[in-house]
Amino acid sequence: MGCIKWPRIGLITTALASCAASAWAQLPNEPATVEMLPQQPGPHWLWVNDIAFFNFADGKAVLVDGDAGKPLGMLSTGVGFNGVVIPSKADVIYSPETYYSRGTRGTRTDVVTIYDAAGLRPVAEIEIPPKRSSNMPMVSAAALTDDDRFLLIYNFTPAQSVTVVDARGRKFAGEIETAGCALVYPTGARSFFSICGDGSLLAVTLNEAGGLAGSTRTAELFDGMKDPLTEKGVRSGDTWLFASFEGTIYPIQSRAQGIQLAEKWSLFSSPERAGRWRTGGLQHLALHRGSNRLYALVHQGGPETHKDPGTEIWVYDLASRRKVQQIPVHNKTGSIQVSQDSKPLLYASFIESNVLDIYDASSGQYLRSIDSIAQSPTILVTP
Amino acid sequence: MKWFDAVTEGSARHLARRLSRRGLLGSLGTALVGAAALPLLPVARGAEPRASALPAQADPGDPKTCEYWRHCAIDGFLCSCCGGSQHSCPPGTEPSAITWIGTCHNPGDGRDYIVSYNDCCGKSTCGRCLCNRNENDKPLYIPFQSNDYNWCAGSQAGIAYHCSTSRIVGFVK
Repeated sequence: MGCIKWPRIGLITTALASCAASAWAQLPNEPATVEMLPQQPGPHWLWVNDIAFFNFADGKAVLVDGDAGKPLGMLSTGVGFNGVVIPSKADVIYSPETYYSRGTRGTRTDVVTIYDAAGLRPVAEIEIPPKRSSNMPMVSAAALTDDDRFLLIYNFTPAQSVTVVDARGRKFAGEIETAGCALVYPTGARSFFSICGDGSLLAVTLNEAGGLAGSTRTAELFDGMKDPLTEKGVRSGDTWLFASFEGTIYPIQSRAQGIQLAEKWSLFSSPERAGRWRTGGLQHLALHRGSNRLYALVHQGGPETHKDPGTEIWVYDLASRRKVQQIPVHNKTGSIQVSQDSKPLLYASFIESNVLDIYDASSGQYLRSIDSIAQSPTILVTP
Repeated sequence: MKWFDAVTEGSARHLARRLSRRGLLGSLGTALVGAAALPLLPVARGAEPRASALPAQADPGDPKTCEYWRHCAIDGFLCSCCGGSQHSCPPGTEPSAITWIGTCHNPGDGRDYIVSYNDCCGKSTCGRCLCNRNENDKPLYIPFQSNDYNWCAGSQAGIAYHCSTSRIVGFVK
């Protein structure tokens, strides 16, 4: 066309404009718009929760499309953020949050913010007692009962208790003391347990108003001093699976007769234990329910390395309790999660890195990474 | 908060007895039981008198490094890098009233010391000298041995976490 000639610098703008005008029609004016997401999440969407450890008052949750390898949007979630909680319908997002009237000081207000899942906008707010536990984020710091009716939030002031929020009525329902016991692990529509420092579990039953219907303590099921159970459990039906520091799996079953410990088993063979393999990280177990496979983040290290990042992800068939796959990680990894569809993705992040790595969960093949996804990514939650 | 004080002291004494029975940290267990009456441990109060200056050989290492011996169970930003020291909070922050404790070996005198990791609170995170070591660290259900809590929760300043100190509050006989 003869218009692609590089003029002197001072004439570039004019030259390009006249060239564009002669080749294409004028671009239309654009109204300011805001993106909306589909009403239902994609099978490979993931929430990356960010405690923003270098900017503690500015927590975030970033929604990621694992197929496209890109973020879809973000929530701004306040001081010392733990993580979002997603109901089974996935039409809203619950986010227990803390704010101060002057940013890092002033009057503390704790709320559960309810966000519209399509617009990622706050649509309701439930004020709760300003007691929400501030800790290294854990999936079990807040959870919904099985029918999504009540949201349970672990408190630490340092007094230990659980705030109960009526998610349907969108109101604070009450507080249940759990002295000596921490975190929340739902076991039914009106029940959950907490883990206690003496190695027992506190089993709590709720009434229809979200108040305490009853509670019992189990016998001591583990030795919290000798080989502590990590609090990073995953759930398969009526069974919660926890790994101990030494890699023993404790299946905690919730049955009609109560909570009981099923047969323990080890993630590691004798040679592997001799090779100092053990689990480590912030979210070191993940479960794919369809294939009944357990994913465990492991590394070689001695005692006291229970928070070290993993170098491999070992995959176990839960029926046979046999290791079926070893996946070397692409980057240091402290948190793992698996999507629940039939072609699952395996997600991996590390709190000291801003990268999210994505693998094919079936083959173990590394697929892609997303850079700068969060400042301090913590727990990974699938909607 | 009276009921909480009672609960904490009760559970601490129970745990101290278990520690002692099982021979784990046996002498520390004795210290805990004794301390409960004093009252000092298991959760050291943040408003105790400041430590006096020590000769360098008695307290070897650089408090600005993660490898410094007192940091054996710390998790956070080192106050020594933030305008404070290993036993003092930076200006304008508030030490957490209660916290978690570790037992660290001092290569300077060969003794094991009980170290209280008081957080300094009321401002945003310092952001310097992040350090995480987990000797004898326990999960969140054993709070006073867990470095995963933000102990600013127990301060008047609130949960805005700034940095962590590593104060000596006793030694293991």
